Amino acid sequence: MSQLPGNTTHPNDGGAWPTLLKGNLRTGGQNSLTPRAPKRVRWQARLGSSIRSAPVLRNELLYVTVTGGTLYAIDVSSGRPKWRFQIADQIHSTPSVSNNKVFFGCDSGTVYAVNGDTGRMVWDAAASGEVWTSPVVSGGVVFFGSAGARLYAVDAETGHKRWTQEFGGRIYSTPFVAGNQLYFGCGDGNVYGVEAATGKVLWRTPTGNGIDSSAAVASGTVLIGSEDFFFYALDANTGAVRWKYETGLGIASSPAVAGDLVIVGSKDGYLYALEVLTGTFKWKAQAGEVVTAPPVIAGGLVCVQTGGIFAFDIASGKLAWRAGVGGAVQSAPVLAEDVIYLASLDGDVYALE
Amino acid sequence: MDRRKFVKSTCLGSAGLLLHGVLLNAQSEASAPALPPIETHGLPQAKPSPLGMPGLFPGRVVEVSSPDAIVHNRVSQPLINEMLERGMKELTGESSAAAAWTRFIEPGDIVGIKINPSGAPACCSSPEIVREIVSGVLSVGVPAHNIIVYDRYAYEIDIGSYQALVPANVKVLGIQDAYSGMSGYDMHTYCQANFFGEWETRSYMARIVAHGLTKIINVPTMKDHSAAGVTGCLKNLAYGSFNNVARSHRAPYSFTDPLIAVMCSVEPLRSKAVLHIMDGMRQVWHGGPLTQVQDFIHPAGTICIGTDPVAIDTLELEAIEKKRQEKGAPSVWEHDPGSITSNSQEFFHDPRKNLFYRRPGHIASAGKLGLGVADRKLIDHRRVA
Repeated sequence: MSQLPGNTTHPNDGGAWPTLLKGNLRTGGQNSLTPRAPKRVRWQARLGSSIRSAPVLRNELLYVTVTGGTLYAIDVSSGRPKWRFQIADQIHSTPSVSNNKVFFGCDSGTVYAVNGDTGRMVWDAAASGEVWTSPVVSGGVVFFGSAGARLYAVDAETGHKRWTQEFGGRIYSTPFVAGNQLYFGCGDGNVYGVEAATGKVLWRTPTGNGIDSSAAVASGTVLIGSEDFFFYALDANTGAVRWKYETGLGIASSPAVAGDLVIVGSKDGYLYALEVLTGTFKWKAQAGEVVTAPPVIAGGLVCVQTGGIFAFDIASGKLAWRAGVGGAVQSAPVLAEDVIYLASLDGDVYALE
Repeated sequence: MDRRKFVKSTCLGSAGLLLHGVLLNAQSEASAPALPPIETHGLPQAKPSPLGMPGLFPGRVVEVSSPDAIVHNRVSQPLINEMLERGMKELTGESSAAAAWTRFIEPGDIVGIKINPSGAPACCSSPEIVREIVSGVLSVGVPAHNIIVYDRYAYEIDIGSYQALVPANVKVLGIQDAYSGMSGYDMHTYCQANFFGEWETRSYMARIVAHGLTKIINVPTMKDHSAAGVTGCLKNLAYGSFNNVARSHRAPYSFTDPLIAVMCSVEPLRSKAVLHIMDGMRQVWHGGPLTQVQDFIHPAGTICIGTDPVAIDTLELEAIEKKRQEKGAPSVWEHDPGSITSNSQEFFHDPRKNLFYRRPGHIASAGKLGLGVADRKLIDHRRVA
């Protein structure tokens, strides 16, 4: 049995939010302070091309990728770029930060490591097919999937390949690392459990359609949505289905776990709260017409971007507040102590307070 | 002769024919603004192809249906495989699906699959159908990286999750990332008209359509459209290949007829669109093109295949009209001022209401432009169970 999330890399250093959904535990936040409805814009940075990834935060720098091919490091005190790193291809990958390196993939299939302080490239590594997944760093290795149906493991310091493994479909699901296993969904409709050291497939579990949701793992259970409308809970050791829950449409949203609850959005426009161990329905709440973004959690609230930001009470599912900030349908916000950072499709980054 | 005059002289002959017929339609709406002249600037070096609209089989529409093709709002991949194979063989008369695909596609082609994701997730081109089309194109010998699934708006493609659901190495392309952006369009290929005094009077053709692709397979959905009456083959192709098209309708008036038809006639779009596979798994009879209201979406479980977009759209219009009649909704041709609302929520939830006077005459206009057969009596409608 692999080690499960308690032993994974835990980059929770104060207010940092260095990966998609805050950390490798994919909890979607868990700040203690309850975010209040934003009253004003502290700053707005116009980055000039569309943003279809989520920002991440570390050491007072907000790292944002834009489809125009630029990685920005924005000083959160001023909203001004400290540096920018330009490539020739589109970027849809949410960056992740580890050991002062910023990792992201691009549509030509190259994955980059960039110095977090200077914006200078440290290395690049080639993959087949576009890389929209967010690179995940664990144990000195960077893991990412590609549209070329491959999963890659490269050395975090050098970019040298450790292994690659081919699968039956495109990979847009960001892997979850738990000890010596990786978990992800695939365009071929399977959820895979893979050995982190070798890429060897340990198990696979079919669903009824392709998968672009990214998994979370809690209590030995892999939690992931499928385009077949179901949300799955699988045994992390074997892939056996522990329970599944049917929503009204496909699930592209990635789940967030808080205590014994897992929260996930569906394209039917609802957020669902289910018990991790049993799948027991707790509540659902309408959040616009379509939810594809992952929810994030802080201080008893669940926040999700579907056009604007909706915040729901995590215990009851009741709407706490909502704020209109443009059409940021795919991104996930960063919930810092007193500021919410978010990016919009129109290419704007906001600091809301 | 400069380039501009050359293009005008090569394109306006057919456009002039269209305008006459359209003006007859427009006069029924007494207070509607007058139809302005529409100028088309096609790509001068584009050579018309015999495969272009109306293509190899003018007037022929193969409709393949299965009640089990869509169950509980899920589309059956195995049944789609069978339905498409039967339909392609019936359309072409070939004995195998592989042979049928070779009538339209060659190994050296760069093939665009024009999806319609605008109603995603409730009603959009089914990924199951797109996968089978990819499989057919691959069977001809086209490499996966020369197959491009595309539409204008990247964010709508994302909502449909096509980037995860199509086969590996096929490209998925949104011509523009957000609501604006010109870099994906060819500034020399456009339609120009001033409908309502708008600031930008040109609609430019997407670069990938003008220059990147050699063939286009059109995969529209079967939907009511608040301005055009229906969004089918013609509208999916026209308004998904040119930008700045929403300007053709300003509530309650619409110039989708004739603009849709005119755009489809512009080269090289006309010649590259060699096959149309209408996704009728879900049939939206009200609230199109964007509705998410399941009450107005009928699981019809059909696919219509042909090379003639006018004939397919004629049958689609008939089907939508029939369904609206069954449901007690007014005809898409009705122009009752009492049905017009400026409240989009009212429109989305009440089939008696609409935002525009619908103009489905673009189908007949396309027929007059020679893009296909609009006369119902002349359509060779083949039903395959």
